[in-house]
Amino acid sequence: MVEPPMTGEAMSDDPDAQPGNKPVVEFAGVSKSYNAGQTNEFTAIKDVTFTVHDKPGHGEFVGVLGPSGCGKSTILKLIAGLEPQHPPTTGTVSVHGRPVTGPGADRGMVFQDYTSFDHRTVLDNVTFGLECHGVSRKIREELGRHWIDQVGLNVATDQHKFPHELSGGMRQRVAIARSLILRPKVILMDEPFGALDPQTRLNMQDLLVKLWRNVEATVFFVTHSVEEAVYLGDRVYVLSASPGRLVHQVDVEPPHRPAALMQREEQFRDTVYHVNDLIAAEEAARVADSE
Amino acid sequence: MTDSNSQVSQTRRRWFPIRGKISLLSSILISIASVLFLFATWWFVTRGEIVEQRIVGPFALPSPAETFATFSDLWFDQQLTRNTLTTLRRVVLGFSLAAVVGIPLGILAGSFPPVKSLLAPLILFGRNIPIAALVPLTYFFFGVAEMQKVLFIFLACVAFVIADTTTSISNVGQQYLDTAYTLGSNRWQAITRVLVPLAMPGLFDSLRLLFGLAFGYIMLAESIKLGGETGGLGNLINAAQKRGLRTQIYLIILIIPIVAFLIDRVLFAIQRGLFPHKYGGGGWLLVIVRDIAHRIGDVKSMFFRPTPPYDQLTLEGIAAAERLDGGTSDDGRGHE
Ligand SMILES: Nc1ncnc2c1ncn2[C@@H]1O[C@H](COP(=O)(O)OP(=O)(O)OP(=O)(O)O)[C@@H](O)[C@H]1O
Ligand SMILES: [Mg+2]
Repeated sequence: MVEPPMTGEAMSDDPDAQPGNKPVVEFAGVSKSYNAGQTNEFTAIKDVTFTVHDKPGHGEFVGVLGPSGCGKSTILKLIAGLEPQHPPTTGTVSVHGRPVTGPGADRGMVFQDYTSFDHRTVLDNVTFGLECHGVSRKIREELGRHWIDQVGLNVATDQHKFPHELSGGMRQRVAIARSLILRPKVILMDEPFGALDPQTRLNMQDLLVKLWRNVEATVFFVTHSVEEAVYLGDRVYVLSASPGRLVHQVDVEPPHRPAALMQREEQFRDTVYHVNDLIAAEEAARVADSE
Repeated sequence: MTDSNSQVSQTRRRWFPIRGKISLLSSILISIASVLFLFATWWFVTRGEIVEQRIVGPFALPSPAETFATFSDLWFDQQLTRNTLTTLRRVVLGFSLAAVVGIPLGILAGSFPPVKSLLAPLILFGRNIPIAALVPLTYFFFGVAEMQKVLFIFLACVAFVIADTTTSISNVGQQYLDTAYTLGSNRWQAITRVLVPLAMPGLFDSLRLLFGLAFGYIMLAESIKLGGETGGLGNLINAAQKRGLRTQIYLIILIIPIVAFLIDRVLFAIQRGLFPHKYGGGGWLLVIVRDIAHRIGDVKSMFFRPTPPYDQLTLEGIAAAERLDGGTSDDGRGHE
């Protein structure tokens, strides 16, 4: 897959952006407190700092792990620029060197809950973003069918179905197509496969790896599965329990074999155990702290 | 536990499954039995040639035979069909007016908290005002013409329409809005393409209920007599009352729920066609609505250029990309 529909240059709204020049995503001392100043103030993440650089011709895939409620979704929504997570209480969140001011199609997001628009067919769901940008129906439907095919759905039988006629896995394929059709520079995935059965989940992981190679975007992938993070990621971020801090960044082997094969290899298992140990140590430290 | 006990609970479970399903046939049969039972009771308490021996006197409740004997008078002399249509027209007009005014206001209130605060006193007032007290008031303002009846329905309904629309809009999950924003929709598009369509099933449900109420309200406006004969079912009841025709009053009372039921079924059929994700089926109306929306969009896209960078997209470019992708799209398919 190459770029013809659109050049890489055209996708960037920053004319000076050179690959590898500015970091794709940068958190500088970011904290987020919900209901700041009120009695129910709650600090979700604290002093999170990291930088993800653009590798030329190859975005970075970041797996994000951490206990429930530690602020993983908060971090993703801060990058997306969605309220009430945006704006951060302190610190700055920048994408391509510019502070995030609000949501935009350059940062696509796939949610855990199925967020297909019920009143639109699969094709109309996939082309929603292009429709919002005023792309004519002929062009957007052509591209829409292309992406329906890319995510492994059957164009002939599925394009005119409504979301309620699809399985959970098929809905997430639609959600992925709907996001990727806009060729975002950053893709934010919040436990997108959390509600799927294990076999479907492996298939979706392979699909994601294949698509990601083609679109060359930077991906943030939140998951509760250490295997999934280690398999998909170039790098794994481990967050502490609430208030979330970034406690470990682990570089891991990128996924160059099908999920079912690679996840059986010894080296892969070792990495998973290592990350598991880090999480357990973090948990132990927290328990010791609170005693 | 003894054997006979579990036998009893077996039978119970068979006839009264909690939230279970029964066949359409048995459901219809049970309903018919209930109607028959009511008529039988009616017949029983009003039977007997000698009126003094009846359980309920004929002045309060005529027998079924006596009641249905006056049907032809009601149908021909009192022009039942025409009066029913008159009543229907008033409700439909008043209710449509309430919808045309109330739905946009409700959408604004559901989308923007300041508008909600602005309308809150109005809604509170409108919902709690005694409906019957409105009749003489509308009479002072609008006289006894058609206008009064229509505006009475409008006034009785509009606050409820606004409130229900606001609620339906507020009930749409935030994740849908977030999704729309991350796909690049602006605020106007988020409201018109996401919030409103997703609020529709809930809104339609409450409007259907409200329409039934409006049908009851109109009787009030029609039967409170403030001037000349203005027609309508309520007016018929009034006339029958004056002529001492209890039988016709009971007939009209029987006819109103039947008309209301038929209207409700029509509305429900529309609902089924529009919201297949809630009621199943093919959604034939939704398909039509989507098609119209597409055509309007086609006209629009003749006048507006896509926003960058998506103005670079061409059919040739897409075709070229597809050719290059050719073989890679087969894995990952057909696993679900
Ligand atoms: N809108 C909000 N208002 C107040 N508190 C919030 C809000 N959103 C999240 N929180 C709190 O902030 C903390 C972090 O939430 P977040 O959703 O980011 O966690 P998470 O790591 O994604 O959890 P999970 O793994 O369960 O999805 C939680 O304790 C939550 O209660
Ligand atoms: Mg979360």
